[in-house]
Amino acid sequence: MANIAAKRIKREFKEVMKSEEVAGGTIKLELVNDSWTELQGEIAGPPDTPYEGGTFLLEIKVPETYPFNPPKIRFMTKIWHPNVSSVTGAICLDILKDQWAAALTLRTVLLSIQALLSAAEPNDPQDAVVAKQYREDIQLFNLTARHWTNAYAGGPTVIWEFNQKVQVLQDMGVDEDQARVALSTFDWGLERATEHLFS
Amino acid sequence: MKVTVKSWTGVATWRWVANDDNCGICRMPFDSCCPDCKLPGDDCPLVWGACSHCFHIHCIVKWLHSQPQQQCPMCRQDWKFNNK
Repeated sequence: MANIAAKRIKREFKEVMKSEEVAGGTIKLELVNDSWTELQGEIAGPPDTPYEGGTFLLEIKVPETYPFNPPKIRFMTKIWHPNVSSVTGAICLDILKDQWAAALTLRTVLLSIQALLSAAEPNDPQDAVVAKQYREDIQLFNLTARHWTNAYAGGPTVIWEFNQKVQVLQDMGVDEDQARVALSTFDWGLERATEHLFS
Repeated sequence: MKVTVKSWTGVATWRWVANDDNCGICRMPFDSCCPDCKLPGDDCPLVWGACSHCFHIHCIVKWLHSQPQQQCPMCRQDWKFNNK
């Protein structure tokens, strides 16, 4: 790894460990290997959002050219959000792309991703299906996002109706994640989701 | 009483006068050098932009070379070297 990248990541790592966000438990950062090229981030779902109470893991890959190019970050925890792919966890955030600046750090990027959870940008979607639901039925979107937070991120709110529908599809032999995606996509219409899965 | 100075050794210290402690690009203290240099001082100088932000010259040049637009990595204003 290039000298500047490795040195900077080491300094940043120490800075994050001393930060008040780590002390307050809203973000976390861990090393994945000894070469400092891969880290694991963790953010708490912000209060007053459907992600509240959930813990979301992020895969962070530091390129050789860091900090002249942004770190590559994606959600490892599945999440229902207009700017995050519900399939791959890819994040649509300008500072991870063309608005990256060398003065940004892993700490500020993690805080920006956390802020994205509080303020979605449905007009610049990463997941068109989620964004459509967000625009057309925000209440159903909030319930779906809360359900996903419960199912994947350890969130506290159990939505029994959704759990039951997922179970119905699982009883038909459908994989749990696939069942949840299909139901979420078709606004929890069991019939249409079933039709989609078996067509 | 008369004192005879037999010898003397001059000592001086120096530091950069910057508006920040660390370079925003490499995050090393300005009183040390950029990660690619060995010794701080004239071989690894600081430069200021018209926006008043300050970096190791080696760091800002690498940043500007890596970007399609020439902007300060702190404030995103167009980067101009401040030749003060």
